[in-house]
Amino acid sequence: MKQTLTIARRELASLFCSPIAYVVLGLFALGSSLIFLNTFAPDMPATLRGTFSGLIWLMIFLVPAISMRLVSEEYRNGTIETLMTTPITDTQVIIGKWLGAMGFLMALFVPLVFLAGVLEMTGSPDWGPIISGFVGLLLAGGLYLAIGTFASALTQNQIIAFLITVFVICLLTITLYFLPQAGWVWPNLRKALHYMNVNAQFETFNKGLLVMGNCLYFCSGIALFLFVAVKTLESRRWR
Amino acid sequence: MINVHELVKWYGPTLAVDQLTFEIEPGQIIGFLGPNGAGKSTTLRILTGFLPMTSGRASVAGYDLTTQSQQARSKIGYLPESTPLYGEMRVEEYLHYRGKLQGMDRRSRFDRINMVCDRCGLEQLRRRLIGQLSRGNRQRIGIAQALLHNPPILILDEPTAGLDPTQITHVRELIAELRGQHTIVLSTHILAEVEKSADRVMIIARGKVVAEGSPDELRRQVAAGSSVLIVEAKAAQEAAQKVITEIHGVQSITSKADDGWTQIRVTADGNIDVREPIGAAMLQNGWAIREMRHEIATLEQFFIEVTAQQDQAVA
Repeated sequence: MKQTLTIARRELASLFCSPIAYVVLGLFALGSSLIFLNTFAPDMPATLRGTFSGLIWLMIFLVPAISMRLVSEEYRNGTIETLMTTPITDTQVIIGKWLGAMGFLMALFVPLVFLAGVLEMTGSPDWGPIISGFVGLLLAGGLYLAIGTFASALTQNQIIAFLITVFVICLLTITLYFLPQAGWVWPNLRKALHYMNVNAQFETFNKGLLVMGNCLYFCSGIALFLFVAVKTLESRRWR
Repeated sequence: MINVHELVKWYGPTLAVDQLTFEIEPGQIIGFLGPNGAGKSTTLRILTGFLPMTSGRASVAGYDLTTQSQQARSKIGYLPESTPLYGEMRVEEYLHYRGKLQGMDRRSRFDRINMVCDRCGLEQLRRRLIGQLSRGNRQRIGIAQALLHNPPILILDEPTAGLDPTQITHVRELIAELRGQHTIVLSTHILAEVEKSADRVMIIARGKVVAEGSPDELRRQVAAGSSVLIVEAKAAQEAAQKVITEIHGVQSITSKADDGWTQIRVTADGNIDVREPIGAAMLQNGWAIREMRHEIATLEQFFIEVTAQQDQAVA
């Protein structure tokens, strides 16, 4: 546990040393503010729902930029060798790195707190949906980061890791968003596809509902991809 | 301390380590010597638990590398070949990070960091960013990091590669200072390095140990094979050549004339000492001798010889 946190802390610190992190921070702050201003007007409901719905799409491209370097950089620098020859396990490495990236994700969400503050100053927002929306955004981001950690463990090339992550996330979001709308899809399959869609799962949070099933969806997704990431890192032992 | 039994490593279709068997006693300094691509780094990577072996057995400090990898790894300090470090970290920060990964508590971390910084000459650099440091200083950090948790075994993969002569001397001195406190395995393709510091040298070529022994033993092995004698006498070239060729035990000679003197290179049968008969022959002919010496076999020659033999055997 201690070692996992050590890795997480180093990862977080080194994220703040890379220029990409600041680009992501800037773009996210800009994007969230723009979406917010779009829905921020007199006589409009004081909510962040529209902002959150927009951000879940924006995150498809921004979150992979955070996760792409997690393991790839260790491969490319050769530091993987010093890392894996200390008495720590592959699981500790992967979870530590994912936790570090989660820490960065929280920093990414700081502007949203300001936006909520603006709502509080100008109107009387309902805090329930805002908080549940936050939780949903964090879980979705966690899932994206887990996918990113896995992709990053596959290759020493950060660009490839980025593209694989975007691709898998697109499968879970855009593809599963439009596919169920096609007429030829078998109704039961449509239901299943809709269930697997990240946006549909997130929408429940955004409505202000904290449902066990939705939390389970994200948590199991995170666990699945982190597990695959551990196996990928381990694979060098039997390749 | 380290036991390796019939270690084999295949990289896909390429055989990197071929049935390597050896044993290293506690406190010894072992030099792994071999041309590039001989399988040195692969062997060291297997010993540090970074790579798995294809077959065979290996144990480090009594822990089996396949079943007790974690315990084995905690007994090893490792400096990989290219000294990979995190450029964005400060020296001290990095050492703390390594200490935490090794499971050291706060107190012992501070103590050991002070100690290794002092030992490796990092005192002035503690607050510097690693990315801004020179190759030599990075190497020091790499060694400091390997020493940090005071491991019984140190594995250094080409610790002096890419350093300037002063830095090489520093690293060598440091390794010499560590003698007795750690079992040290170091790999290199530079002979001078092991010639000076190692207790035992293992020459590896194509994944196999082709020769093994102390530097002195290896040198004697070369000298024993066929000895080369160099004689310089004040004599006509042809006459001297003719006289020496007739001496019993002389296999072949080459000579060159030099301002009235003749330098003769005599290759003799290793079991027969030809110095006395040569001296007698010179005396008989009234030729003055300016020099008579055995050509000293260097490890360099031995190295080239054994690795070439190995190549020939394969071809």
